Amino acid sequence: MERFTLKKLIHMISQREISSAELVSMYFERIKKYDHFLNSFITLNQESAKEQSLIADKKIHAGNYDLLTGIPYASKDIFCTKGIKTTCASKMLENFIPPYDSTVINQIKNSGAILMGKTNMDEFAMGSSNETSYFGPVYNPWDLERSPGGSSGGSAAAVASGIIPIALGTDTGGSIRQPAAFTGITGLKPTYGRCSRYGMVAFASSLDQAGLLALTAEDIAIFLETMSGFDPLDSTSVEEAVPQYSDFVHNSIEGKIIGLPKEFFNNSLDSDSQRILNQGIEIYEKLGAKITEISLPNVGYSVPTYYVVASAECSSNLARYDGIRYGYRDDDTKDLDDLYRTNRQIGFGDEVKRRIMTGTYVLSAGYYDAYYLKAQKVRQLISNDFTEAFKEVDLIVGPTTQSPAFSIGEKIDDPVSMYMNDIYTISSNLAGLPALSHPVGFIDKLPIGMQLIAPHFQESQLLNFCHLFQQETDFHLQQPQPFLDD
Amino acid sequence: MTVKKSDINHICDLSKLRIDENEISIFTKQISDILNMINELEQADTNNIKPMAHPMNMSQRLRKDKAILNNDRDLFQENAIDSEDGFYKVPKVID
Amino acid sequence: MKWETVIGLELHVQLACESKIFSSSSTKYGMPQNTQASLVDLGYPGVLPVLNHQAVVMAIKFGLAVDAEIAEKSIFARKNYFYPDLPKGYQISQYELPIVFNGSIEIPIHNKSMKTIRITRAHLEEDAGKSIHDKFHNASAIDLNRAGTPLLEIVSEPDLSSSEEASSYMQKIHQLVRYLKISDGNMQEGSFRCDANISLRPLGSNDLGTRAEIKNINSFKFVEKAIEFEVERQKAILEEGESVIQETRLYDSEKNETRSMRSKEEANDYRYFPDPDLLPILVGKDLINGIKKELPELFDQKVHRYIKQYSIRKVDAIEIAKNVDIAEFFEALIHHFNENYQQAANWLLSELMGYLNKENISIKDLTITADASADLLQKIHENVVSASMAKIILKQLIETNDSVDEIIEAQGLKQISDSTQIESIIMEVLESFPDQRDQYLSGKEQVLGFLIGQVMKKSSGKANPKMVNEILLEKIEEYRRI
Repeated sequence: MERFTLKKLIHMISQREISSAELVSMYFERIKKYDHFLNSFITLNQESAKEQSLIADKKIHAGNYDLLTGIPYASKDIFCTKGIKTTCASKMLENFIPPYDSTVINQIKNSGAILMGKTNMDEFAMGSSNETSYFGPVYNPWDLERSPGGSSGGSAAAVASGIIPIALGTDTGGSIRQPAAFTGITGLKPTYGRCSRYGMVAFASSLDQAGLLALTAEDIAIFLETMSGFDPLDSTSVEEAVPQYSDFVHNSIEGKIIGLPKEFFNNSLDSDSQRILNQGIEIYEKLGAKITEISLPNVGYSVPTYYVVASAECSSNLARYDGIRYGYRDDDTKDLDDLYRTNRQIGFGDEVKRRIMTGTYVLSAGYYDAYYLKAQKVRQLISNDFTEAFKEVDLIVGPTTQSPAFSIGEKIDDPVSMYMNDIYTISSNLAGLPALSHPVGFIDKLPIGMQLIAPHFQESQLLNFCHLFQQETDFHLQQPQPFLDD
Repeated sequence: MTVKKSDINHICDLSKLRIDENEISIFTKQISDILNMINELEQADTNNIKPMAHPMNMSQRLRKDKAILNNDRDLFQENAIDSEDGFYKVPKVID
Repeated sequence: MKWETVIGLELHVQLACESKIFSSSSTKYGMPQNTQASLVDLGYPGVLPVLNHQAVVMAIKFGLAVDAEIAEKSIFARKNYFYPDLPKGYQISQYELPIVFNGSIEIPIHNKSMKTIRITRAHLEEDAGKSIHDKFHNASAIDLNRAGTPLLEIVSEPDLSSSEEASSYMQKIHQLVRYLKISDGNMQEGSFRCDANISLRPLGSNDLGTRAEIKNINSFKFVEKAIEFEVERQKAILEEGESVIQETRLYDSEKNETRSMRSKEEANDYRYFPDPDLLPILVGKDLINGIKKELPELFDQKVHRYIKQYSIRKVDAIEIAKNVDIAEFFEALIHHFNENYQQAANWLLSELMGYLNKENISIKDLTITADASADLLQKIHENVVSASMAKIILKQLIETNDSVDEIIEAQGLKQISDSTQIESIIMEVLESFPDQRDQYLSGKEQVLGFLIGQVMKKSSGKANPKMVNEILLEKIEEYRRI
């Protein structure tokens, strides 16, 4: 089974080699055939997708269509989609049908791309393994006993297996990059404020960003243009012009300086990973970049900082889930307090409860200064480290994860161990910086990723570097074994 | 750093959660572990550092004061399990 | 033991914005339940707040009017608690860095002097929805139309020492927000609400006693009564040697008592933190100066100006300026009628306000224009109509669409000011009532009233009373010589 890139699909459509209806049909066939191994979809949008593909084909025939007309994509089930169930993989929103589209979904709709379905995820985006979903875990197409990472595990597994060409994800502490690394694909978290958060169910407001998982940097560049841009409905949305990202991917990186944070390349990385990453870095050198060592002295505090800030924000963001205006509501409650507690006890899973409790604790009387205020100050320190580093270098490179995908069930009972998965990715969320992960090699036949971090609003640089790397290598073209043969 | 069961109960009161008796010990341990990890922050030197509430250095944009008249009550209340006569209903509250 | 009362008031003022503070829903009062509640107001998954420009401007106006500092940077914070009328499970308010702080205002107190009351802060926040407990038998009904309405919470220092002072302060702020046009101050509709923090301490002490917060006060009268009750209640407790419990109490106006609220407010840790969906509000000098320039004339300036510029009596100036709507009407009136400002003031206060008060109409609902009123005043001034005629004309003016001239014409209300005409009527009367005439001439002066009455009757009330008086006295004397 061939995994088509977005670029290939666009070409096939424009050459009339395939129609949108055929594409949509083909991908639904693939989903039907393979998704029961993966459990990467929660909801499929078959009827509507098929209708839209027919409309797309009419436009294509008339020669009056846009770049993404008729192209299928999937969305993590955290983006509100009008008339289509949006569950956030939680019992709390199991039957929730939003009466509106999130801005990003709306922008993509206007571009002509067709939503095929909503992908599985960790509940309310809280997790790094896609094991906290109410609808069951997602399985890694490279090894079905392993986790695809999280929280955008469904989007990652679907793209990696070839049953969808590109998918939306969200990244609060690494939830796009880590699954991309675990499944051997490319994932981008844009700059904070690049894409609108309106309609994207909030986990941690100052960290969440919408992003993409795809097979190549070129694919991401095409789609990113569509979903970016200022939104007056989002106060944290930035009025920054959206470049034509595709125009920049071919630039030379001769003379560009790459910084390697020494704190990322210390003992926390095992020798196999070190070796593979070094090989990756050599490729960038071959492409003309200069390598230098930098320091991010406070980056070691990323995980505790993140868990204070993200928990605090989510404890408040999830207070609206009480079953009164929408969402799960138990029919047997005796008073108001019972109503709240029962709905939330049944509606939320354990990880969500843990994060709400942690967040409530760190904000509570007597602890605010020691935890929340302290964490916000450390956040400033970490951000300052990056600002200083970017005075010397154009891009920062490091690992995405400490190891390849772990087994399902391996870490789920040890929250802190699970949290440590995000050690390399979290700092860019804290600083609001754009970051990307692309495949860089394999350990025991499992993919590992390399992470690129750029200054604010320099997604084009990330895509540029990654594209050139992908011209030089074929890691990103490797397909998971079980899905290679049709 | 150990968090006590009474702390867990208090947090549950504030956040309207409920943990069953047989789970309280596990949650207490897990939250303690998390807080232990968080306590590493104490070591960071944050003298003279201002707290960062937002990753971008921006100020709040102001919206023009114009009312948009949409009444989607019925559409929205399709999502509410218990509503009547246009009201949302909850168990009776005694003030 | 002598006790002194220490009171601080928290006033919640609904700002007169067209749309809500964080969403574009209308703020119109009295609409059917939940028809003015958008996705943002309902706290749907994924929705976000965007700040209303006008709310910021109004807060700054208030700050400038009370000589407060306007924060260059202020922050919105989340106040977290659970209640069905609070859809997000938190209220967006301001905590550590409010937009306005360190102000003060002078209030008139009992001995006619002025007392300065410090205003600690005024901050922006969103209003909650409404819960109605008697609509359904076994459930409470939630209406979220009000959720998200912009509020300015004005907090005073505990500088108020009596229920009268509290009422005076409340009235002063009420007048001010209406003058500034940042709120209609309608207490029946909930646009202006008061919570009072009351404590007692031994006379002369500088420490603050334990305070109780009284909620649900919605009139000037009730704030006095609630405070009076509460002071007595606390006094009784303290004199027993017991301690006052720090709690929230509800004022019951029917029973005239305060009682403890068994509710959400108890033992609540609000866990305030800066709202990450909103950014700091930055207010620059240009914005402040622009607003300062456009501040309307306030009560004290107006009174002063009326006295100096129009030579109106102080007591009348105060009476007119007390209500900004009346003041505006008055100014429009004297714009068209500038012959005699005191006469205009007199007419406005006794005739027009008299009519409105009797009919229970507010000046805002008055159907006649200042123009038409000026017209009437002009006719009074020129003695074209008598004062009693003017009363009739006023009523007609309000009840019909006719102009002053049309009414005078139609009802033949023109005053008779022609001395020949008056003289002939007087002669008729003097001839018809010889007894009374003679009684007057023999010294019974009060009979003159009867004769004047007859003249007025004969002239259908139209004769110019002053002239009647003069000419009658003159003519009756002629009989003496006979």
